[in-house]
Amino acid sequence: MKPKISIEQRRFRLKSAPEYGQASFAWIVSFAASLALLLGGYSPGTGGFAPILLAASCVYLLFALLQLAAWIRIRADLIQFGAIRIQTRALGYGLMLSLLSGNIFIATAAFQLVRTRKNAAYTLAVYTLITTLLVMAVSALHLFKPYVANSFLPGMSLLLAAAIVQLGALLYVAKTADRTALPRSAAFVAAALIVTAATGNLFALMLGLLLLARRRDGGGTAGSRAGQVIDRLSGSTTSMLGLLFVLFLFALSAASYWTFDYSLAIENNYGAILQPPSLAYPLGTDNFGRDLFSRIVFGARISLIVGLLSTIIPVLIGGLLGALSGYYGRQTDNVIMRLLDILYAIPGILLAIAIIAAFGASTVNLIIALSVGAIPTYARTMRANVMLVSTLEYVQAARALGSGDWTILAKHVIPNSLAPMIVKSTLTIGTAVISTSSLSYLGLGVEPHIPEWGNILKLGSAYLETHAYTAIYPGIAIIALVLAFNFLGDGLRDALDPKLD
Amino acid sequence: MMKRGKLAALLLISLTVVLGGCKVTTKNEAAEAPANTSTTTNAQQTESTNESAPVDIELLGMSANEADLNIVRDQLAKNGFNVKLNIQADYGSFKSQQDAGNYDIALSSWTTVTGNPDYAVRSLFKTGGDYSILADPEIDKLIDTASTQTPEQYVDTYKQFEQQLVFDKAYIAPLYNSLKAQALNQDVLKKESVRLSKSRSLVWEDIDFKDEAKRGTDSLVLQSTMPTLTSLDPIKGNDGSINMINTNMYVRLLNLTDDDKLTADGSLSYNFAIDAGNSDYYFVLRDDIHFAQIKDKKAVDTGERVGAEDVIFSLNRAKDKNSVPDHRTFTLHEHIKTVEAVTDPAALESAKLASGESVKAALEKGLETPIAGLTADKAKADHQAGTYQVIKLTTTEPFPQVLNYLAHQSAGIVSKKQVERINTYDVATFDVNKDIPYGDQNTVTEGAQYNNTLYASGPYILSHKNDYEAILYKNPAYLKGTSHEPKIENVKIRFIKDADSALSALRSGEIHVFYGVSETKFDVVKGDAKLSLQTLPSNAVSYLLFNMKNRPVAESADLRKAVLYSINQDEILAYYNGNKFKAVSTVSPLVKTGLELASDPAKAKQFLDAFKAANS
Repeated sequence: MKPKISIEQRRFRLKSAPEYGQASFAWIVSFAASLALLLGGYSPGTGGFAPILLAASCVYLLFALLQLAAWIRIRADLIQFGAIRIQTRALGYGLMLSLLSGNIFIATAAFQLVRTRKNAAYTLAVYTLITTLLVMAVSALHLFKPYVANSFLPGMSLLLAAAIVQLGALLYVAKTADRTALPRSAAFVAAALIVTAATGNLFALMLGLLLLARRRDGGGTAGSRAGQVIDRLSGSTTSMLGLLFVLFLFALSAASYWTFDYSLAIENNYGAILQPPSLAYPLGTDNFGRDLFSRIVFGARISLIVGLLSTIIPVLIGGLLGALSGYYGRQTDNVIMRLLDILYAIPGILLAIAIIAAFGASTVNLIIALSVGAIPTYARTMRANVMLVSTLEYVQAARALGSGDWTILAKHVIPNSLAPMIVKSTLTIGTAVISTSSLSYLGLGVEPHIPEWGNILKLGSAYLETHAYTAIYPGIAIIALVLAFNFLGDGLRDALDPKLD
Repeated sequence: MMKRGKLAALLLISLTVVLGGCKVTTKNEAAEAPANTSTTTNAQQTESTNESAPVDIELLGMSANEADLNIVRDQLAKNGFNVKLNIQADYGSFKSQQDAGNYDIALSSWTTVTGNPDYAVRSLFKTGGDYSILADPEIDKLIDTASTQTPEQYVDTYKQFEQQLVFDKAYIAPLYNSLKAQALNQDVLKKESVRLSKSRSLVWEDIDFKDEAKRGTDSLVLQSTMPTLTSLDPIKGNDGSINMINTNMYVRLLNLTDDDKLTADGSLSYNFAIDAGNSDYYFVLRDDIHFAQIKDKKAVDTGERVGAEDVIFSLNRAKDKNSVPDHRTFTLHEHIKTVEAVTDPAALESAKLASGESVKAALEKGLETPIAGLTADKAKADHQAGTYQVIKLTTTEPFPQVLNYLAHQSAGIVSKKQVERINTYDVATFDVNKDIPYGDQNTVTEGAQYNNTLYASGPYILSHKNDYEAILYKNPAYLKGTSHEPKIENVKIRFIKDADSALSALRSGEIHVFYGVSETKFDVVKGDAKLSLQTLPSNAVSYLLFNMKNRPVAESADLRKAVLYSINQDEILAYYNGNKFKAVSTVSPLVKTGLELASDPAKAKQFLDAFKAANS
């Protein structure tokens, strides 16, 4: 017996449960991944399939079908009862196994499915654990090589210990986070998590800080503002995946100091030139016999560092200049903004090329070159925000109470103007990553043998026809990182939207 | 919830147990038990870095040679050097860095376009040579001794030379000898008509379309990288921008075969002969080549025959440094003492070859009518009547390799009358802004300055050019009726700077021949059914040149030898998939001396330690 409901009602019921959207996203992406693996494993020459890729494709297909089944049940539940039944939620435990196949789409959806009530701490705890497990899995690929880095075993043990702590934290959070006041033990869990953040896992750091903040609040206000932002952000699957990918790369870059051997990425090995992907060389080798997998992982360091620094520097400089000119107005505004307008008139990438041509190619020069051109846009954004905020009542009140200009700027104006800057900078990190790679591709970045994604892509582009994987993998890495930052920026914009307060 | 937690904890613990049971070889363990060569190099690397600080060294090169630079960098880094790369975008900036002395080692290359070993050493390594930065009397002596010797004799001299240059003093560290590779569109061109020669530039007159009916209508489309032509006067340029054009625009007394043997075939001579003293050289000239010129963008016969007076004029100006401003090739011809026309047949009778045969008999070999009379007037020559012109060239000392230089494009024959008519300026007070020399590229570039005054003695003549392409037409009076008469009427040279773009142009049918296919693209060319790949060992050698001024490498032979023995040519060959060859010096492709550079990390370390000891 189906109770009759209108189409609007049905639509509302389906939309009211984020699990429904997550489940549909998860099975569609898994199905696509399964197809991609199948196609990737097909060799037209022999008409056969590579056994490993074929197996991986089958596993992905299996989980995609299971997820599809769960999705159908979620849908039926929502339409019939307006909520997901507990039996349906239990399916999530089975779907969590997909993490073993590296399918984070289904795994994250499953972790969300099993919980009726979600909160920021739980979501962060899940992503913390997933990040560490992924880093471990990727590092473990080294076991197939003839030898591993000297610090591989201590590094892996460290990661394992972190994973155990984080699993404990996940269970703890799942049990206690729904309470309004956290028990005293939360402080110890938070401290342990912050210690595991030393492996480069920023999710752990965020979770630890969140728990500490909630413990300090003592259940008074319903979580900090950061908690709200994370709550809203976690509602969007794509932005959480973007954040996961960025922080995973960060954690991997940090872990690579222990678990990866730099010589594999930089020393030529003439016995293994242009090897196709295999277990020992997961992404193949380049024309000098260097392991592409190691090169791309080490390249992430440079791409992330240059991308982040060349965004942070103009945010700081541009933000400060914009704040000053927006707050003081008149002559200050005129002088600063006209000077910045001149800088704005020069195309950023041309300025970068000119700076590098003049001062030589190095990582520091690369960061400076990319930073300088971006200053005016941040100054403009900040100026507009500050002009808006300075007219608000609380600023006038502070002024009436006799606060100095610097106090007002630092305590009231700048903090309340930051949200658009954060969104803008997240969205432009992607551009900075692309610019870094473009300059390296043009031979203006770091030295050619240093693993950097643009460099790797440049070498690979010469073999596009004969050994396409040498260009495809660094290309995918660049696309994925830029896409991740864009998804994240998009999610942040929604999460920081003041209209939702 | 708790149940799941226990399960997960159990899983993690069992994972730890499994991981603990695994035997994982770490890098140091792998290095301790060297099973193969790749781990030995690792071992040595860790050893040397552990023992002492690496020695700084600056490596200069061009971005076009990035792969070589990376191999050398890698090999030096593995042998205890800290390599600083200085990569320049093009040859101009590379050269200015080199001239400024901003390097310890420069990745250099040399191609012996004349096919004789003297050219491969004289200007590079002799004191005061065009490109030389060395000043070593022993090296000079060996170069001079070898130049007077015959091929059988000079093998040993060049062996001593290589021993001195490379192994004893380590002035250079050799890398490899390259292949010459050329790809052509075999759907359009007759594959066998496109020659690939070891030294000689592409022979245009032989090239033919598969469909012979297209000879008059379609253009043969070739490719070149540089749209700015140095000069169309053969003696004023010796670089990639004009070598191919000038080789095909001016005929010479001799040619080189595809494997660098001297031949009169397709040249201005019917025959040539060498006097027993190795100082006098005789050439009997053809009378069926006329100069061509461009009138209204068409090639026309000037009616003026290419004769002895033009040969004498051309070679005299080739050897004279002061005949033109910016003379770039006189060092190639400095051994020429005199060039004259022989008018007395008796002189040919009395001159004898080393075999005892008379020069006259040698010159008459294969002639339709034997030599009946000689004339100094080129208009009077008539091979059917037996009236010939004969050139006698005398060298400053016995120097058999002079003939190779005569086959070089700089020995191309120009018209005495025309060049004297155009070059009316005074060489000493030549003003680049006012005076227009013969062969100035501006006179053939479309625009206000266009005024084509070229007189071509070769199979083709350049009509006009712009930054996009150059158009050449067949010389209507070049060896007409013989097998050397040019087959295709029009030749177009497309200027495409980037090698990858040029290959794409070849594959799309935009150009017909692409010279200089890189080794990494061989598979692409072989995989394309309409393309054919031709390869031949060439005279090109790549080597590391040490800075001989104001740098530690200039003073310390130990440091240079440490670099020398760090170089592993086997690895370079492996990188290029066997498409390069081992070399010891620039002479290697021309003379097999039997020497070979073997990489020796132990020696490299020993020399490096000696250097460190001397400098600490």
